[in-house]
Amino acid sequence: MNEFEALAQAVIKGDIKTAVAETQRALDGGSEAKSILDKGLIAAMDEVGDRYSKGLIFVPQMLRSAKTMQECMKLLQPLFQEGDVTSKGKVLIGTVKGDLHDIGKNLVGMMMGGAGFDITDLGVDIPPEKFVQKIQELEPDIVCMSALLSTTMPSMSRTIEAMQKAGVRDKVKVMIGGAPVTEKYAREIKADSYASDAGSAVSKAKELLGAL
Amino acid sequence: MKPIDIPTFQPQLKVLSREQALAIHTAALKILEEIGFKMEHPGALEMLANAGCQISDDWVRLPGHLVEEALSSAPRQIDLYDHKGKKAMPLTNGNHFYGTGSDATFTLDLETGERRRAILKDVANFAKLVDGLENIAFAMSMANPEDVPVEDIYVYVFAEMVKNTNKPIVFIADSGRDIAKIYKMACLVAGGEDKLRSKPFILNYSEAISPLHFPKNVMEKLIFCAKKKIPLCLPSGSNAGGGAPVTLAGAMALGIAENLAGLVVHQLAGKGSPFLFGPNVSVLDMKSTVVSYGCPEWSLTQAALADMRDEIYGLPIWAFAGASDAKVMDAQAGAEAMFSILSAMLSRCNLIHDVGFLEYGSTSSLEMVTMVNELVAMSRFFAEGIPVNNETLALEALERVISGGPGSIFLTDDHTFKYFMQAQFLPKLLDRSRYDSWEEAGATDLYKRCNIEARRILSEHQVEPKPAEVLQGIAGVLQGH
Repeated sequence: MNEFEALAQAVIKGDIKTAVAETQRALDGGSEAKSILDKGLIAAMDEVGDRYSKGLIFVPQMLRSAKTMQECMKLLQPLFQEGDVTSKGKVLIGTVKGDLHDIGKNLVGMMMGGAGFDITDLGVDIPPEKFVQKIQELEPDIVCMSALLSTTMPSMSRTIEAMQKAGVRDKVKVMIGGAPVTEKYAREIKADSYASDAGSAVSKAKELLGAL
Repeated sequence: MKPIDIPTFQPQLKVLSREQALAIHTAALKILEEIGFKMEHPGALEMLANAGCQISDDWVRLPGHLVEEALSSAPRQIDLYDHKGKKAMPLTNGNHFYGTGSDATFTLDLETGERRRAILKDVANFAKLVDGLENIAFAMSMANPEDVPVEDIYVYVFAEMVKNTNKPIVFIADSGRDIAKIYKMACLVAGGEDKLRSKPFILNYSEAISPLHFPKNVMEKLIFCAKKKIPLCLPSGSNAGGGAPVTLAGAMALGIAENLAGLVVHQLAGKGSPFLFGPNVSVLDMKSTVVSYGCPEWSLTQAALADMRDEIYGLPIWAFAGASDAKVMDAQAGAEAMFSILSAMLSRCNLIHDVGFLEYGSTSSLEMVTMVNELVAMSRFFAEGIPVNNETLALEALERVISGGPGSIFLTDDHTFKYFMQAQFLPKLLDRSRYDSWEEAGATDLYKRCNIEARRILSEHQVEPKPAEVLQGIAGVLQGH
């Protein structure tokens, strides 16, 4: 990532001002948006993800880097060419019906966004039919469902059933998570994947799409 | 010699000045008055509107004087009874009572030591163990069992607890629907609504959602308890960096504001009904994003809350201790458990839950509860201080030993025989044996000894059974009658 070294370092540090200035400088110098994204921003975020998983940095630092990347993306977005692949995959995320706890879900959404996924956050207390409707409308690659309470976990299974009935289950990968959720439960309700925390949600999502 | 009559000083921990306490309280009132909160229960909204709150849609701004009124009508002492109506937990002043926690997904299997999904039988075992441990005062479920219908999970665990202990129970419910079933069972146990009301053996634990969100189902339970005079607490998870600002003062102000908002609705719904005060202010771990159960911050914020109780609120408080983030009952588990147990006691917290949790509250351990029982005894010895009087100064004993000639030692003196049991802490599970005897006895560590002790209690301890008609009634409620 030599030519965008200063940009990458600014993203890693979470220095929004410098990163935006460096993005603008790269554009002014004739670099293509796609190449700034891939070689500058994504490369930096991969490094951030790596540092986080090694325990070298903390969550707020990683989220700050993600925010820095998003600020830079605002400059790049209008300049992408048709056919540029600018996302690792489209992700739909929400807490299931009955569950109003959203800290974990928000964190997963932000981390996945930082890792280059295109996130649509449906919010909290999302009924099965709404998930289905949004799947039909947005055609995501992955649907992420979260529940904090064991009493709301059955909504996950009901949502998957609704997807089956609507004939969209096979078109998406389903990932679930939340404090009471287990790997075993994910298997039982025939979700494709379970992530125990936001960091592993990112790597599981990458795995899932690799298998698509 | 002139008799000496000096009251024994009880060691105490104080972590806030009055000025700090008032500043946090003022910030909490400011949150309620100026920022407001989201209230999703129509009945609660109506009560708040009638009381003079400013409301737009479900957003409420609450004037400070309502807080003062609620604080003055809520009782300053909450007494919890055992299942037979005997006073067991007078929650007031600095009285402390330790008990288990609820809703763990996993448990450490007593036979294999492996972490596995919790089942209903685990709820029974924990309740029975609590019943048999002298320093554990109340029971919570310790499990979200996977082998019961999830919509009635709290009804099943309550029934299981009732069958396996006679100590007070802190229970969880999902909404107004299942709390009514639990209440029905509690009435059967107490011998009727009136008896349950005058001598409650249950306390409901409900949670608002930080920041500043009061869902409908949570308020259903709160209003239910307020009307039935069932004691309740409403700690939101205003964890620093998670549901609340990362700085402890801000997280406390938010958690207290949420508690005060809950208290106002509670007192409007049932003036004089018992409300156990206090938020849960732990931290969101900045690496793993778990809510920590072994951190010093939670101990510090609840010590601060105890100071605020003494300075301002006057209501008994809710607290935690004896838990850990460790995955197994290792040195970390012991260190973290003891840190919170001793500091909760010295800061004079009242109802102290979550003992026996590992893995930031996701795994329960019978061994851990058994260890905490001993650590509470150890802490209590420390917290009781040093009685100073003629008998404990023991100049006469000294004179006898000195003048007794060769071979005269304290160990043989009557004074030692008379006082050693109270003058010293006599551990049961903490090992002080000489190396050789320890080795001969199997070279066990504390986890192993706690395992053996927990098994012994579960096989030997007899829980006084509930009358047949009560059990029948409970079975009826479970079957949906």
